[in-house]
Amino acid sequence: MTVFHYVLKRSIANKTSLLILFLFPVVAIFLPSGEYWPHLPYGYQYFGIFILFISLKLSGLILEDRMRGIAKKLSIAPISHFSYLAQNLLAYFLILVLQCLILVYGGVFFGKELYQPFWLLILFLTFSMASIAFALMWISFFRNKEISMLIFMSMISVIALIGGVLIPIELLPEVLQKVAITLPTFWLAWGIDWIIFGGEVKEFLLVNGMLILYMFLFLIIGSVKKLH
Amino acid sequence: MIASLNGIVKRYDSKLVLDYIDLEINEGQIIGLLGPNGAGKSTLIRCLTGMETVNQGNVTLFGDGKKPFQNKNKEKIGLVTQEISIFPELTAKENANFFAGVYGLKGEERKRRVAEALAFVGLAEQTKGKAQNFSGGMQRRLNIACSLVHNPKLLIMDEPTVGIDTQSRNHILQAVKQLQSKGTTILYTTHYMEEVEAIASEVVILDKGQIITKGTVQELIQNIQHEEKIKVEVSHPEEVSLANIQALPDVKQVIKDGNQILIVTSANSGHLDRILTIIKEDSGVVGINVEKPNLEDVFLTLTGRTLRDGGSV
Repeated sequence: MTVFHYVLKRSIANKTSLLILFLFPVVAIFLPSGEYWPHLPYGYQYFGIFILFISLKLSGLILEDRMRGIAKKLSIAPISHFSYLAQNLLAYFLILVLQCLILVYGGVFFGKELYQPFWLLILFLTFSMASIAFALMWISFFRNKEISMLIFMSMISVIALIGGVLIPIELLPEVLQKVAITLPTFWLAWGIDWIIFGGEVKEFLLVNGMLILYMFLFLIIGSVKKLH
Repeated sequence: MIASLNGIVKRYDSKLVLDYIDLEINEGQIIGLLGPNGAGKSTLIRCLTGMETVNQGNVTLFGDGKKPFQNKNKEKIGLVTQEISIFPELTAKENANFFAGVYGLKGEERKRRVAEALAFVGLAEQTKGKAQNFSGGMQRRLNIACSLVHNPKLLIMDEPTVGIDTQSRNHILQAVKQLQSKGTTILYTTHYMEEVEAIASEVVILDKGQIITKGTVQELIQNIQHEEKIKVEVSHPEEVSLANIQALPDVKQVIKDGNQILIVTSANSGHLDRILTIIKEDSGVVGINVEKPNLEDVFLTLTGRTLRDGGSV
């Protein structure tokens, strides 16, 4: 598990990274609530966007390895491509698990109205998995970290908007509402609604199932490309 | 035999990059793989290490031609990349430790190998320094330490001295020689012929995807050595009898250029003494320079182009 261990080490190698990774969830706990919408405090409603951003930031380490020739060196070492990817993704997921725990149970500790905190945690975790896989797929199309980040940042706003994370999906034109179904953010927003308003368990399972399906799809696309 | 390439053909789409390459790497050798940019050196390395599949031919590593790229063979290879393949945000020790871990080293052996590798490249005092604060030469040396940490039998060095100062280059070249004396086999690619001349026990010259010649430095030079140039700097050039020099057998040309006399003779004509005697009769000798052919001339003779940039003369 050398790669896993070193990914964690590199992720928190400088103070800025450490602050971005762990201060934001703490700050997010104390963000206020909207008057009519969203029903969850802003820090929780928009946490999905943060997860997307952090996923890309973390998976940028793979892109750095590719740019620096480390991936080339590893490709002739006795470690498989899939083991390298799996250890990277596992480390990213562990960081996101910690962030989700800080946010959700920090909120519970400080008395925030989170309706069903445990299910909210589960939803954030499945979205984290889909998000990491999406970031892996995204970076597989690029050779330059900065360019991938730049395009991704603009894209995050669009998918968050159309998916119903930034504004209620009902406010979008009908065509966009149909397009939204294809986005993981749509299922996140649906899951948040389920947590607030309740509903049948199978509905929540569908949401998480869809996110896991996205994860597999993105993982397959993202892991096919050679590292070197 | 450590490794061999037999009839390797590699194409990228319709572009032929390696054209029926046959190469044997024997234990304890330093093979200098020399060629201009775009000759196919890096592709050859990629094929040899399994990073690229070949279109034709086969690769044998450590006597294994069936599954040459299985882990037990990979454990015996180290690669020093052209890029500086280290983690700048981590210390020298952490970098070496990472690669030691990837190669499965554990416990005391891992600690010992990390310390040895860093000491070998002259970074024993900087183990706790972050790589991002190192000079370019130190980063290159750390790059080498990371590739050596598992004690490979075959070390492949892909242009390891690009963009560094002379001191660090010399340090690296010395390190390569030391590694050879410890039994490591080295495949060293470069387009600097001086480096190959300094360290290689065998030279392979690659151009346009083909091995155009191979042998020791002396063998390659002897094959093309037809003439040598003697430059004599004199105190009174106008008084030197050029005709007397020209009259010597095997002297092809005598040219006076300022206070220099340039004499072109057949290779190994053994005239230096006699030429000096003739000159000293008329003038004082300030300096002598005998230009022998080098690998640059070998490449020039075989391809009609210069080695450094592959361009036409």
